[in-house]
Amino acid sequence: MPFDQEAVLRRFATAAADAHAELTALDQLSGDGDFGDNLRDGLQDAVDRFESSGGAAFAVLGEVFLDEVGGTSGPLLGLLFTEIARALSTDVEPAVAWATGTAAGLDAIQRVGEAQVGDRTLVDALAPAVEALRGGGLADAAEAAAAGAAHTAELRARMGRASYVGDRAKGQPDPGAVGIALLFWSAATVTHPSSDLPPPLPSVTRRAPSAVNGRTPPRAHRT
Amino acid sequence: MSRPFHPADQDPVPAALRGFARAHADLVQLHERPTHLVAKQRNASRRVGLVSGGGSGHEPLHAGFLGRGMLDAVAPGRIFASPHNRQVLEASRKAAEGMSGVVHVVKNYTGDRINFGIAAERLRLDGIEVRRVLVDDDLATESTETATGRRGTGATVIVEKLLGAAADTGLDLDELAGLGAQFTAASRSLAVASRAQTSMHTGQPSFSLEPDELEYGVGIHGERAQKSITRPPTEELVDRMLDEIVAGLPAGPDEVLAVVNGLGGTTQLELYGLHELVATGLEHRGLTLTGALVGTFIPALDMAGFSLTLTRMQPEWQPWWSAPTVTPAFPRTSEETA
Repeated sequence: MPFDQEAVLRRFATAAADAHAELTALDQLSGDGDFGDNLRDGLQDAVDRFESSGGAAFAVLGEVFLDEVGGTSGPLLGLLFTEIARALSTDVEPAVAWATGTAAGLDAIQRVGEAQVGDRTLVDALAPAVEALRGGGLADAAEAAAAGAAHTAELRARMGRASYVGDRAKGQPDPGAVGIALLFWSAATVTHPSSDLPPPLPSVTRRAPSAVNGRTPPRAHRT
Repeated sequence: MSRPFHPADQDPVPAALRGFARAHADLVQLHERPTHLVAKQRNASRRVGLVSGGGSGHEPLHAGFLGRGMLDAVAPGRIFASPHNRQVLEASRKAAEGMSGVVHVVKNYTGDRINFGIAAERLRLDGIEVRRVLVDDDLATESTETATGRRGTGATVIVEKLLGAAADTGLDLDELAGLGAQFTAASRSLAVASRAQTSMHTGQPSFSLEPDELEYGVGIHGERAQKSITRPPTEELVDRMLDEIVAGLPAGPDEVLAVVNGLGGTTQLELYGLHELVATGLEHRGLTLTGALVGTFIPALDMAGFSLTLTRMQPEWQPWWSAPTVTPAFPRTSEETA
């Protein structure tokens, strides 16, 4: 069965829109507060570009994040999406493609960003998900990513802007890590519609598939 | 108060790049969306493209060093800001045409490292080989406490010159990346300022100093130094800087290159006077000057101040320093082709 990239893109876009206020609040604790905007708007732009020009949904997603999305995390996420897209374009089982693509994406992100596990970055959610995919499926990866993201609340930042504020952001998770958890949650709930995975942020609503397949709601504003 | 003469209500960088490309139309081609510049000439012996880039406000770096014997393509960012990865990507794609790959010359700043790094990943996905030479020569930022390392400053022009000439001998990617790392490792710099650069927004200096104060160990982005010192006589100042730079250099030959670089608001009269002190100071220390650059090569907009860079020269590097260049801004130009 072909993997429904489009459905994952749409669910991820909806989840990021739902999580916007919370992601923004988290990023204001430790960064410049633009992560919620960047993730939501980048995903919406990817949905728009996919609808107007077609192609593989994750290839479009990667291109938009590499070319258009600001901040440091935007293009780093673009590297991950591009590697997932490359793996999904090969003739292997979706679970294998996700394992290969996310592992390559993690490598690329670490080569560029030089972050290790424990530095309070998106790597803290991505690395456990990659590990989970070695033997398990997307539901295991989603659980691992959510746990990894939650654990960043205990960590002190060493990289990125959050490193300037020391312990002040402790107690709350890193927004980039939460963004990664949202990606895996979206992929897992599309792939296993009957699963009852809790979303990684309470504000993200578990929509019925019919709603998910519709257009995401328009943004209140663009920045 | 001294407002700069930028075109009104515009980002000053695009206008300056268009003027630059017009003035040097025989040497460079400007591309926009995303912004990058490409040299129109390159020596036929070159097998690897050389690409650099970084924030604007440091002219003539890097676009002034496009051309025969130096860089093949550059990606200029906004004032003091890293270029976007797309700019580096497009500059690199052009530089890679007909080549076995590209070397990125990157000054050590987080934004530049990340954006060049993302571009390098995208180039690899395209099947283009990339190596990086990270320039990190600024002694003032040497610290064991942070992971960010020394800033990249005055040594950049030396690395771009030596690497350009080395590339023209037909060396391959790994050889050039290795040499670039050696050029950087052999170089140290230190900078002082008596007045901050003018803020583009207020027309005032970005920080203020008393008349008898100097920022010692200042950077090229208007950030303050870790310390301000009471201004010593110029002879003493140069002596102190040379002591620190020579102590910071790794062991090696007694032959050195020197760059006496103005930070934007320092006259040639001052810079040549400083060079005389540098040259005699090196003699007293038993070092032989085998080459020098005196002028404004890596300023911080119009900051009043200067940086000194020394590079310990291996004998085999010397011909690369002397090799002719045809670029908008490197001073020793020649119509001959290397």
